[in-house]
Amino acid sequence: MTEAMATTRRLRAVPIDDVAFDSDPLAGALIRCGRGDQAAFASLYDQLAPYVYGVVLRVVRDPSQAEEVTQEVFVELWRIAPRFDGEKGSVKAWASTVAHRRAVDRVRSEQSARDRLDSDSQRRVTEVDVVVETVEASFDQARVRHALAQLTPAQREAVELAYFGAHTYREVAALLNVAEGTIKSRIRDGMIRLRDELGAETQ
Amino acid sequence: MSSELDRHHLAAAYALDALEPDERIAFEAHYHDCHVCSHDVRDFRSTLAAIGELSVTTPPADLKARVLEQVAATRQLSPRVAPRTLAPAPARRTYLLAAAAALLLFVGATAFIVGRSSQSDDAFASQLEQVLAEPDVQMVDLTAMSATTEGRIRVAWSASAGQAVVLGDGLTAPSDGSVYELWLLDDSGAVPTQMLDPADGGEVRRILPMAGNPIKWGITIEPEAGSASPTGEILFLGDV
Repeated sequence: MTEAMATTRRLRAVPIDDVAFDSDPLAGALIRCGRGDQAAFASLYDQLAPYVYGVVLRVVRDPSQAEEVTQEVFVELWRIAPRFDGEKGSVKAWASTVAHRRAVDRVRSEQSARDRLDSDSQRRVTEVDVVVETVEASFDQARVRHALAQLTPAQREAVELAYFGAHTYREVAALLNVAEGTIKSRIRDGMIRLRDELGAETQ
Repeated sequence: MSSELDRHHLAAAYALDALEPDERIAFEAHYHDCHVCSHDVRDFRSTLAAIGELSVTTPPADLKARVLEQVAATRQLSPRVAPRTLAPAPARRTYLLAAAAALLLFVGATAFIVGRSSQSDDAFASQLEQVLAEPDVQMVDLTAMSATTEGRIRVAWSASAGQAVVLGDGLTAPSDGSVYELWLLDDSGAVPTQMLDPADGGEVRRILPMAGNPIKWGITIEPEAGSASPTGEILFLGDV
């Protein structure tokens, strides 16, 4: 932790070359990626890889598959970088969306819904070990944990089963033996509470 | 809860990638044009980006070299710009003409005929998944232009992937010597087209290459050899 405390706020160290994006510390590097700058992409990789790999790993669970999916995600981010639209959200939200969708696609293509219900009803969602790398990451994590703690247990369970369990809301309803409409409401109410706690523009 | 209200309530489940496939398609067709839902999707994705901080895990060190190696061999998409037209460029049409008439007035059309038989179900499902996974996928249900037109047509596409999916059900087979032709209309006036061949039962299940950013899709009846620009009756039309 001492070492972490000494680490500079690395996310802020990215030079920003577009005023329009100055609320997004990764936007400058991404804009250069969009112009084919592989060095900028290497820098973006360094900043996003623990994040992307972490999201993917938590969904697919298997480290070797998570590695494959993470590679797919980064190649895709490179491919579509010229079309990134900062109006639609931050670089991190964009990377997170692509990463989660790819991870979910991998899970769903490899297992039938039936298989997932069987295996996951026993496992449910478990916390993964977290590597706190910077003061900022540690601060962000504390904020997120606080926000998650504001959800009712039922809301949190529904959101986590859907997001990290890669289940559709109907599958979540089947897992919990609760009406689908109830799960939809828990997911929606839980996400609204999280949004209100975290603020919409969180990086 | 009305279905309209219900649709607005799907943004959270959509952002979690937790909708059933058909609901996802329907929501994607809806939310880009819905101020409330597009705002919600953006917010929820931002919220989930914050949740992702909890999972931060250092990846294997050798992954970076493999990613960068593949990146060096991967061509990037071009940024979005107005597509070139094949004909002398008309003044850019910011506003479209009345829906039906518009199909007939575009110039610079290119027509090409693709294989006529429907693709196998498996190949289709796999390609459909790929198109739907594109971040910029959009969808529109075309509107029948006449009360006597039977069936329905849905088009989903990704401009970045350059692919469109055409789904049709309950279509009446075109009379002998004529075919259905699909038109993509964009604001430069180019009209790439594809022939459609409803399989048994009036079904269309096709993945087609496309270019440009459509603002409308339409289907007309054309002579069997196809047409360079729309000449026949407009059966379906849909605004993006």
